[in-house]
Amino acid sequence: MIKFIEEIFRNLNTWGLTALTFILGFAEFSLGLYGKKWSKNERLLDIACYTVPKLVVGPAVAYFGLKFLPHAFPAAKGTLSWIPFTFGALIIAIADDLTQYWYHRLHHEIPWLWRFHRTHHSAPYMGMAMASRQNIWYTFFFSQTYVTTILVYLGLGYPALFVKAIKSLITKLAHSSIPWDRPFYQIKWLHPIAWVLERTISTPATHHAHHADVTDDGVGYYKGNFGNMFFLWDIIFDTAHISRQYPKSYGISHYEGDEWYAQLFWPVLKSNIAGSELSAEGPIVREDVPKQFANEDDQEERSEELLLQPSLVAATSTNPSILQ
Amino acid sequence: MKTPKSTVQKIFRNAILSLFIYALPVILMFITFYIKGEKPWLKKDTKQQTISQQKQKDQ
Repeated sequence: MIKFIEEIFRNLNTWGLTALTFILGFAEFSLGLYGKKWSKNERLLDIACYTVPKLVVGPAVAYFGLKFLPHAFPAAKGTLSWIPFTFGALIIAIADDLTQYWYHRLHHEIPWLWRFHRTHHSAPYMGMAMASRQNIWYTFFFSQTYVTTILVYLGLGYPALFVKAIKSLITKLAHSSIPWDRPFYQIKWLHPIAWVLERTISTPATHHAHHADVTDDGVGYYKGNFGNMFFLWDIIFDTAHISRQYPKSYGISHYEGDEWYAQLFWPVLKSNIAGSELSAEGPIVREDVPKQFANEDDQEERSEELLLQPSLVAATSTNPSILQ
Repeated sequence: MKTPKSTVQKIFRNAILSLFIYALPVILMFITFYIKGEKPWLKKDTKQQTISQQKQKDQ
């Protein structure tokens, strides 16, 4: 039985997760979940972000683990191999995911770091297409990759096999535009499980909120929900927002489609969009465009949505001033 | 553009708590070993000795 489970995880790490990404992506695309927002520029960026790091960052990490560490610390190899599996898995899971939480959070809270992470947030849709979408330098300096490589070198390779696959599954599903967590909020007897689930791991609801183009509207919250595998870090550090709802729109409110190469290679290549954070003279962090004033069509659409809400229809019939 | 002071303070507070969380599985592991009276790292030493002895023999 253990051999069978081990084989599943080995296959997940070698080809299974890649296959899952393509199957989910195909399902999302077929269901029209990207809408009309997957333009040529976005498609090129998503494909480049999926392939280029595999060709550039993969060999760099392999060099770090297979050449640099054995050369710099030859005696340290396998020194922690005596650690039992359960504790090894716990050590790897915490070391990897808490480091990624901090890496991610600092890119949001330290202004000069923001532009290295902006590419991941510029996608105006959620799904497998944008799950790997990152600036090349953000991917290259992914701190948790090196932490985990060190732990594998020290002898925790076997538990890492399981943790990496589980983490990858959770983060992929949290980015997916298929809201697998919705039944947990809709079916009453599943509510206790939902309560535990949404506080423990990243779900589409909590992670989509992080990718919303607005914050503090009750659903969207890009100022928090930084967790990748574990959402627990957001609960502990008070950066969590749980609404059990999904944002209406994603991305960055002032995004005007910076060229794919600028988003991938900034600051080496700059955007030609005037006023963009990635342009040569652009601001470090640009202020949000207030959504209700973004354009008149949006404003009309919003008013229609408000009018269509049953509770408001009932309220306005007795008190029309509620919409003013 | 500077990071607000309140953000920096919160980052430092949370970072200190994080150090404890990083150490938590290691602390839990050694508490478990202490309760069970186990010293698995010694077994590893023995194994390493055997391997190095084997190498010496081979030479």
